[in-house]
Parts: sequence; structure tokens; C-alpha cells
Amino acid sequence: MKIQKILLGDKMEKILQKKALPDWVTKLKDYQIIAPVQNESHWDFQILSHPSRINLDYKNTILSPKKFIFPQREVFFRFRSGEQSGYDLQENLPEEKPAVIFGVRPCDAKALTLMDKVFGGDMQDPYYWKRRNATILVGLSCNHPPSDNCFCTSVNGSPFSREGLDIMLTEMGDTYFVESISKKGDQLIRQAEALFKNPKETDKSEKKQLKSRAEKEISRKIPNIKNTPSKLETMFDSDFWNEESLSCIRCGICTYLCPTCHCFDINDEIKSDFPIEGERVRTWDNCQFPDFTMHSSGHNPRPDRASRLRQRILHKFQYFVKLYQTYQCTGCGRCVSQCPVGIDIIEILNKVNAR
Amino acid sequence: MVNLEDLKMEARRLLNDGTVKTIIGYSRNPNGMMSVPVFITTAEEVDRLVWDPTCVYNLARFLVDEKRKNQNTSVPDKKKTGIILKGCDSRALVVLLQEEYLKREDVYVLGVSCENSGVIDQKKLLKKVSGKKIKNLAFGTDGKIIVDTDGGKVKIPDQDVLADRCLECQANFPVIKDISFGEEIKKNIQAPFASLDKMESLSGDEKWTFWKTQLDKCIRCYACRSVCPMCYCEECVVDTIHFAVNADTPAQEKAQKIKWIEKSPITSENFVYHMVRAMHLAGRCIDCGECERVCPVEIPLRLINKKLEKEAKELFDYEAGYDPEQPSLVSSYRDEDPEDFIR
Repeated sequence: MKIQKILLGDKMEKILQKKALPDWVTKLKDYQIIAPVQNESHWDFQILSHPSRINLDYKNTILSPKKFIFPQREVFFRFRSGEQSGYDLQENLPEEKPAVIFGVRPCDAKALTLMDKVFGGDMQDPYYWKRRNATILVGLSCNHPPSDNCFCTSVNGSPFSREGLDIMLTEMGDTYFVESISKKGDQLIRQAEALFKNPKETDKSEKKQLKSRAEKEISRKIPNIKNTPSKLETMFDSDFWNEESLSCIRCGICTYLCPTCHCFDINDEIKSDFPIEGERVRTWDNCQFPDFTMHSSGHNPRPDRASRLRQRILHKFQYFVKLYQTYQCTGCGRCVSQCPVGIDIIEILNKVNAR
Repeated sequence: MVNLEDLKMEARRLLNDGTVKTIIGYSRNPNGMMSVPVFITTAEEVDRLVWDPTCVYNLARFLVDEKRKNQNTSVPDKKKTGIILKGCDSRALVVLLQEEYLKREDVYVLGVSCENSGVIDQKKLLKKVSGKKIKNLAFGTDGKIIVDTDGGKVKIPDQDVLADRCLECQANFPVIKDISFGEEIKKNIQAPFASLDKMESLSGDEKWTFWKTQLDKCIRCYACRSVCPMCYCEECVVDTIHFAVNADTPAQEKAQKIKWIEKSPITSENFVYHMVRAMHLAGRCIDCGECERVCPVEIPLRLINKKLEKEAKELFDYEAGYDPEQPSLVSSYRDEDPEDFIR
């Protein structure tokens, strides 16, 4: 399957009582149910061992749901030196149960459509698509911005965007306004049809009001973002990157927490020397780490924090735009909120645009 | 109380008379409640400096960057680096001096005393003001933090919102400085290792379960390492930039290089990473708590370092970061050192 199509127009709209959500979820026996779970003071998407305990009263998670489609560690194949010669190879394509992820924020769903471009196209990544096609995304509109650093409306997003989702839930008092956006979504609703009612016209207009209020509540903005890609083209050698990265400590938070970052490394993990036995493993990698661009010659083309910060910004707002005509950022604000030293991509882009 | 205007006046003087090339301090973040580190190079910018309970960062970490920058410049700037250090941060500088990583004459310390207060734990504070937007924070005079929110000013007792390490801090004013601001009142801490009580009361199996659960969360972003002033190794075991590798290194040698740790965030590798970090900090950690503060998945890393600190204190009567002349714990031996735990 290629990039998932968004079916506009002919879509199913329903009303579900909030207290009936666990009943719906428990009916979905053929699926793994993934939803946000509270861990200390943060939330994290996890596979629910008790789907009936689903709770969507959360803001946003530290890690986006991309980790279920593009896991941080993935075994491609196992190898073992053979009796005669060569290696026995055993492919390890994912074989998990189909999954439904509940409570996906619009920015994180849109981020997966960007990942689709990277792992799709002419070279389809079978590991990625096996999971992607087996996953249904049930979104949750942002009635209020989950973070002070939300800026989706500046990067062609919306707190009510349905892009990439199969179903969208919008909280309205004691109920959810439920919209199915794909056939997968329709099927999920049909599995518990009795729980859903048809919406009234007033429900639809209330949802519209919530949407326009939510968009207004997003206070952080990048007004001239359209100019950013061309501005950046002239800034490769600018001292700007040095100034902006003075406090960068070169950790990997901004990129590992990013719902659109997709860089990876491939290594052989050896379990036994004789016979040689091990796994070829793909793990997330990170452009902020010193070994990311380390050449075996000993030369490192990105030797310092300035060149690594520049790479992060240029990849998202220049190179990706050139390749795919869209920003590689959905405005979730995680890199801003979680940066240990307060480096702020919104501020950086506004400074770029003011130059 | 630290008089910010006095501090700014001194910063201006140091920049104007050429004593320092830069002042590393704290500044306001226009888009958030927390301060941010700032690097000031002209007297005109000095007004950006702030001092409030959100000055959590251990700026001593940036002295490592300054040294590296000088090493990589053909004509290094000989002027000093001016830096604002709290008590805990100044202890980090002491360790860096003790290990001869930095030279005392290269640094000009503007010490600030936390007096009887400290810096906040952002998570505790956000919970306390539940939902209200915080505009500004200030030290109160009565053991309370003054929090300016969109719902008006509130006073919150220090005990409720200070970082855990501040509640156990015995170095609330700088131990090394060129000039200091604020009163040097010694805090009276009854139980400096109280935060360990719960973990120490667990059985071996319970400890294993606890730490396995915690470390399995690790995504190996290495923020705990990257923020630490003591993690100044040119090459960390987790980064595969190998020094032996250069343009002349034969392929065979490259292939044989030792791989200490895999990139996979799995139990064994996460334990290796965190244990290496802990062992390298034994007798060196000064409990600035930065590793725990920056952890995005809330691993209680401070407990590991605090435990090592307690062992050093109890077994060797050693406290890191008070005396630059003292030999470091792991590189010195005294006849009276206990050895009954060596089996």
C-alpha cells in the first residue's frame, strides 16, 4: 500500500459517550490497543495490558507514537556461520498483531505522513510498512493546546487536522464527536456500532466552534515561515549557527523526541564469536551526536554543535522542503519544551526570517 | 539577598576593563518560565542577566566547551572566562581544578549564594500551581518562593517546590570564588542522604526490579552525560569516534576496534551505559542534579550518584568539590582506608 489516502466528503460521523470508550476498546479483540499511560509525571504511549483502563485525559506524550511504527530498535535478520561455508540468514519481518493507537495528537499523525514519504517512494522499507499498514490511528483533537510551545498552525497544521488519521475523536462535554476518515476507521466503528449515535446539527456546529477557538489559543507563531526555506539557502556559512548553539550541550533530546526525525544506524550485534552468531539491528540515530557523521578516515564534516544545529534546522526547513514540498516539522513543540537549555526552534526560525 | 544590580555592575567592570572575554550567566527566556544560559561579551548586554529560583543550570559545564574552543583555535583568547556559579556549581569547578582539567587563573568566578533557599524543580512547581501560567519567580525573604502567575502572585514554601538536591544541599554558597553576592549562611541540613532511605530499604530483588524498570525507559539521548560538567572525556565509550582511527589507520585495525556498548536501548546496554556513567562519577559527582533534571523520561539518576556520594563519605570521609588541593578519591590511598569490603 502506498501513502494512505485521506477520504474527504463521504465520511462517517458519530457521537460516543466518553464513558463508553472502554466498552468500544474492549470490543476490538483482534487488535493490540496502544494508548497514553501516565508514568511519573509524564505520559507515554504503551500497549495496554488492560484495554478497559484506557484514559485519554492527557496533554501529550514525551515520545510520539512513531516508536510503534519505527521502533528505536529493530532486528532485520539473524545470522549464524554455517557448517560448510557462508552464513545462515533468517529474516525477521515484524509479525505483531494489528494495532490501534488511541489518542494520537494531530501533529503526531501528520508526522507519520511525513515518515511515509521517507520510507515509501521508489524504495519501500518493508519493516516500516508492515507495521504502518497494520496500525490504525485514532486521533484526539486538541481543544486546548497541549503545550505552551505548540505551533502546528505555523507549519500548515491545525489542532483539529485529520491528516494521517483513520478516526478523529473530539471531546465535547461527556461525549466524543467521532469522525471516521478511512475505511479502516469505518470498520473499527462497525465493530461496536450499538455504542455510537448519529450526531445532531448542534453537535457539528459545536465542533466547528471548538476548532476555531483552539486555533486562536495557539500563541506561538512563525509568521513568515514561507520565506524560511529560501532564507536558509543563503545561511549555510553564517555565524548565526554558532551564536544560536552556544548553550547546546549536544544531547539527543530534540531529535529523539521529534515525531518526524527518522535517521537510523545499522549495526551487527554479535552474540557469539564461535560460531559467529548475531543480529543485524537498526536503531534510531541522531544528527546531534559526534559519531553521526564521523568518517572512517577520521574526518568529521560536522565537527561542532553549530554545524549540528544547522543540520537540524536545514533538514527540516530547507532540504525536506526541496525533496517533498513540505516542512519536516509538525509543530508539536517537544524539542522546545524538553530542551535542557531552552533552545527554541520557533525563536530560531523567527530570527532567520527577520534577517 | 543577592543584589542583581551589584552583580551586573561587576560584570560590566570585568568586560570593560578586559579582565574577562565573556560572562556565562543566566538570562530570561521570553517564551517560558525558566531562565536560560547566556553568554555575554559586551557591557551593553549585561542587563540581560537575571538571578532567580529558575537558575537551575550548572554553568560550570560550559567551561569544558570554553576550554575545547581555545584548544581548537590557533590564537586562543588569553582573557579569563567569567562565570556565575552557585554553591553546587562551584564544587564542580573545584573538581575540574583538582583534576587539572582547568586552570584557576583562566576562570573568574562570580559566586552567588542560594542563602536559605535554592532553585526550583519545574515539575513540582507546575503541579503546585496546577494549570496557572507562570510569568516570573523570585526569592522571598521568609522561606518562600514568590510566584507571579496569570492568576496573581502566590507564595509557595521552599520545601514544596525546591529541587530535591537543594533540600539536601550543604554547599548553598560558593566554595571558590573571586567575588561573591548574597550572604554566606550555612544551611542546617539534618539528613543529607534522606532521599536514599527508600531505595536503601529495598531488598536486592526489589532493587533490581526498580532499576530495571527505570533504566528500561532510557532512550539513550545521553542528555545526562551531555549536561554533566564532569563528563569531559574527549571520547565517551558510547560514541564510536575512535582516536586511533585516522587517515593512515589500516582497515584491519579499524575492524578490530573494541565495541564497548551497542546502540540498542535494551536492558543490558542501558545498564552498561548508566553503570559506566556512575562509576566515572564516583567521588567526583557534586550533586548538582542536572542529570536527573534533564532526563526526558524521568529516571531518578540522582539516586545512583547520591549513593556513591554517601559511600565515599562513609568509607573514606571524602566529599568531592571542596578543596582543589586535595588528591581525588580514586587516585589516592591512605593507610587508614578501609578494605574490609574487598573480597
